Amino acid sequence: MNKWLRQDLWRHVVGISICLFSLFPLYLVVISSFSSTGSLQLSSFIPREISFANYSKLFNDPTIPYLTWVKNSLFIAGSVALLSVMIGTASAFAFSRLKFKGRKFGIQLLLLVQMFPAILAISAVYVIMERVYNFAPGIGLGTQPGLLLVYLGGAMGVNIWLLKGFVDSIPAELDEAAKIDGASEVQTFWLIFVPLASPVLAVVALLSFIGTFNEFILARLFLVDMESRTVAVGLQQFIGGQYSQNWGPFAAGSILASIPIVIIFLSLQKYIVSGLTAGSVKG
Amino acid sequence: MTYLIRGKIALFIKVIFVTLIVSVLLLLAQSAFAQKEYVISAFLAIAVLLLALTYLTKISIPLKFFIPGILLLTAFVLGPILYTVTMSGFNYKTGNIISKEEAIVQIKVRGIESAPSGQTFDIKLGTYEGNPAILASDINTSEYFISTQGDRIPLVASALTFNEYGVAVEAPNFTPLTDSEFATADKLFTGARFTFDDRFFIALEGFEAGVVSQQVLEYLPESDQFKNLVNGGIYTDNGRGNYALTDDKNAILEPGWRAPIWFENYSKIVTDSRVREPLVRVFLWTVVFALLTVLTTFALGLLLALALNKPIRGRRIYRSILVLPYAMPSVMSILIWGGMFNTEFGAINTLLGTNIAWFSDPNFARVAVILVNLWLGFPYFYLISSGSLQAIPSELMEAAAIDGANPRQIFRKITLPLLLQILSPLLIASFAYNFNNFNLIYLLTGGGPRNELDGEIAGATDILISYTYKIAFGSGTQDLGLASAISLIIFILVASISLYSLRKSKVLETFA
Repeated sequence: MNKWLRQDLWRHVVGISICLFSLFPLYLVVISSFSSTGSLQLSSFIPREISFANYSKLFNDPTIPYLTWVKNSLFIAGSVALLSVMIGTASAFAFSRLKFKGRKFGIQLLLLVQMFPAILAISAVYVIMERVYNFAPGIGLGTQPGLLLVYLGGAMGVNIWLLKGFVDSIPAELDEAAKIDGASEVQTFWLIFVPLASPVLAVVALLSFIGTFNEFILARLFLVDMESRTVAVGLQQFIGGQYSQNWGPFAAGSILASIPIVIIFLSLQKYIVSGLTAGSVKG
Repeated sequence: MTYLIRGKIALFIKVIFVTLIVSVLLLLAQSAFAQKEYVISAFLAIAVLLLALTYLTKISIPLKFFIPGILLLTAFVLGPILYTVTMSGFNYKTGNIISKEEAIVQIKVRGIESAPSGQTFDIKLGTYEGNPAILASDINTSEYFISTQGDRIPLVASALTFNEYGVAVEAPNFTPLTDSEFATADKLFTGARFTFDDRFFIALEGFEAGVVSQQVLEYLPESDQFKNLVNGGIYTDNGRGNYALTDDKNAILEPGWRAPIWFENYSKIVTDSRVREPLVRVFLWTVVFALLTVLTTFALGLLLALALNKPIRGRRIYRSILVLPYAMPSVMSILIWGGMFNTEFGAINTLLGTNIAWFSDPNFARVAVILVNLWLGFPYFYLISSGSLQAIPSELMEAAAIDGANPRQIFRKITLPLLLQILSPLLIASFAYNFNNFNLIYLLTGGGPRNELDGEIAGATDILISYTYKIAFGSGTQDLGLASAISLIIFILVASISLYSLRKSKVLETFA
């Protein structure tokens, strides 16, 4: 008993106290989502009432197109995830396997470009898309396809290290064998590499999905219409006002939007961690 | 599946696909050209050319993999960055946003004043013989006429129709604007000058009234100067984006234009104390913030990793709970924390039994920022430290234990140095990431609190990136030129930190 205390008790103390620290804000959101007062107030640790008013407001109030926001977020984040994995994987494959002039320069340039504080280039992006709107209103400022295009601008660079690291780890004999059988580089990519890499591609797609889901500044700048907003932008307006903070629907909406992401994250934890240690930082 | 990738069918699909994309882009290029967006149009045309060359010929195999990424990168990342860098050499700020040609037009439009007589007319907009025209009535003197930009046609009252105020609404050969034409009338009528007499003209004030006016500022194209026709003052291009009076450099004409001032935005950072002092303060806090964040998140993460580095009961449950802050969408957690720090209703004050105005006091606000970032960031370091702890060979610790080292010594002399060696690139990467952690500051404190009385825009928790964002897009004077110069400096800082860490982690050597 004494030995157990000495060896394991501190581990549990640390574990439990930090768990409380992690859970506290989340617990608070859960309580406020079930409270009808609309504040993020901590009146007691045990909820006095369980009201579904906030949840039903999200789905029934015609001024809050919550489901549309969720759909927009899923559409934008999903498309960005899919397309950016395709673009990123193709680039990583080429950087890793093909020999060409300027390879080293290319990847270093890509690396440098990513270090520019993108937020400051926003005004230029804004000007460009404003002009695009003039001749192609469907893909310019204020549209989801436009936002999608802007997000895809970063597709080549983000996660390139993670992907390239993985391509490097696939034995080159496989490509050579394919080459001897008469496969071209493009065929090798689709028939050998993509099937082998699919677990990693899934993780990269997930990271990109979460990153896009979380993006706020560009989405707010671009999506002005109530109907075209993403969840993050839509929910923020409940509490964005200085004097009118309405935490109830915000809490309920955040919980519903977070649950799928948290579940995917927890179930793919093992793969994500290996991705993280490969050098990427969550955005 | 293979037939989709090789053979005739594959070729057929490819050709159709490429043709489709190329024709959409060509269409866009054409309409961009029609709207006089020549740069965009040229970019699209080049994109079409590259796509067709790459996918329909065998000119370069690597390009087949790179082209989509490169085109998007150029359009939405490289292009904007180059634009920003260029703007750092211009005095691009509120009052100097437009080009010189546009500014000259604006000054001419604004450089009028009403005639000494102060006479005004009630007007109706319309067309006369196909040209934009106004039907003017002076109800006091019963003077009526139609005026176009080149002519004035006097009218007699008997030929006109009047409304209940005595304003003429219909006249021979005069067609009033329909409601739908009114919507687009702005372009045709605003700034237009309708004939009054040799010296004066009628300028519109809204769509209902016209004022007899005279031009005060006249542009002299040969000498590129503006001349004040009333007092004879001469305004010359001061080389800094404004026309200024020759005797009084501060008397400038509005608006100005964006003019190249080369390195002045950069030298301003060093020489102008109103720019330098807040910037230095913000820079110091940025470094402190990023350092403290890395230290606290790493320390807490490592502590947890050490505590749970043994298969104790409930480890899986701990682990699942501990990564929750990392799995939650961060935008939402930051906003929730913002609500928790509310002075009156916030959970933090309730829990502590205090009444602290967290976001009004600079030091408390800083503590709050670090605390929230600790919550957001420790799971990351917990995950990677526990992974790395397992990567350290246990023989090393066993050997140390046999040599008589106690657990604390083993940790300090063996585990920690090895961990730091493994994790140092990630620690540096985390520093670089938090150096630019815009979302946290923007959503949590907005950079505040700040001293609003002295017009200072830098707040106590502002980091470089959020401060620069305020300079560029804030509510007061927006100085995009200065902001661009600062972002270039941030870029150089972050790039050097990251390149140093990459060199250390030897990633780049794989390209040697």
